[in-house]
Amino acid sequence: MRASAPAGVAEPALLDQAILGATTSDWLALLKPRVLYLVVYTGAAGLLVAPGPLNPVLAFTAILCIAMAAGAAGAINMWYDRDIDAIMRRTAKRPVPAGRISPSGALSFGVGLSFLSVLLMWMATNLLAAAILALSIAFYVFVYTMWLKRRTPQNIVIGGAAGAFPPIIGWVAVTGHLALLPLVLFALIFIWTPPHFWALSLFASADYEKAGVPMLPVVAGAKATRRAVMSYTLWMVPISLLPYVLHEAGSFYGASALGLGAAFIWYAIGVMRDRQDATGVSLTRDAPAKAAFKYSILYLFLLFGALVVDHFL
Amino acid sequence: MTEADRIPVTPTSANWTPEQKAEFVRRRRGRNWALFGAMVALCLLIYAIAVVKLYHAGHMW
Repeated sequence: MRASAPAGVAEPALLDQAILGATTSDWLALLKPRVLYLVVYTGAAGLLVAPGPLNPVLAFTAILCIAMAAGAAGAINMWYDRDIDAIMRRTAKRPVPAGRISPSGALSFGVGLSFLSVLLMWMATNLLAAAILALSIAFYVFVYTMWLKRRTPQNIVIGGAAGAFPPIIGWVAVTGHLALLPLVLFALIFIWTPPHFWALSLFASADYEKAGVPMLPVVAGAKATRRAVMSYTLWMVPISLLPYVLHEAGSFYGASALGLGAAFIWYAIGVMRDRQDATGVSLTRDAPAKAAFKYSILYLFLLFGALVVDHFL
Repeated sequence: MTEADRIPVTPTSANWTPEQKAEFVRRRRGRNWALFGAMVALCLLIYAIAVVKLYHAGHMW
């Protein structure tokens, strides 16, 4: 059963906008395009570092399917979370809570696109890649969105797995089987997700609290969240070095991972040492957390970029 | 003020202003063109995948 938003909060009313109909950009917004960049990028990296050739048309289709599947999962997430999205300032203008797209329209769009992406992936590459793609959608929708998000502060720790599938899918699309490197890349994104989202939740915790989402700063406080960002970052750096240690990547990647990881630790220290009150609430408007959040995105871009460059060196 | 005046008017296509009607038509046209583009792109993509698959299977040329 669905854990509902705080009592007294009604379903968002359809505004006049609804009757005028949505624009094309509203439908595109359902796909959470800003999230897609990293998903497509890491999926493409998995595809590029996989051994063996893949026809450019099929490679393009595989990446398109990864993007479509991630977008479809985002649309279903917006359908399910429409009540809490209406409460949070960051999400209140999304097409469903703002009334520009009906909930059933968003759900149909997401489900339809999910099936299309999986079938197209199967047609263009292989059954295993399509199955893992379907699993990633199901994980995001059922495990993260419906089960974990409203119930536990560990929501993004376990739910982070959903965003870690793309390199595996890209790899399997080329080779047709699993291997050590894509599993290490999965682990890397999995362990990268908590410090990335907890840095965000440090400066967006008021929104989450209002909506009753048990993010770590809401449940355990800002101080514990700062410590968690630090400890996950310290776990992440050795994992990022595994491709080099296991001889799956060369010294260019190893040096890049070391330098980028050291910078991540420096940002995490900044989050830990931010000027704060007794409860850990920032006195600097969470400037270090904002910087760490931005850097975490850059980190993943550069790290996977280094892996691809290293592969072709 | 009568009771009927106090009842809020539900926005329906029956009481649209000309501007609302024009906006509705503009949005519908935009959606239809986007859907048309997506359908054409999907057909071309499936055609290209079929050609590549057949080529690699040795059934073409």
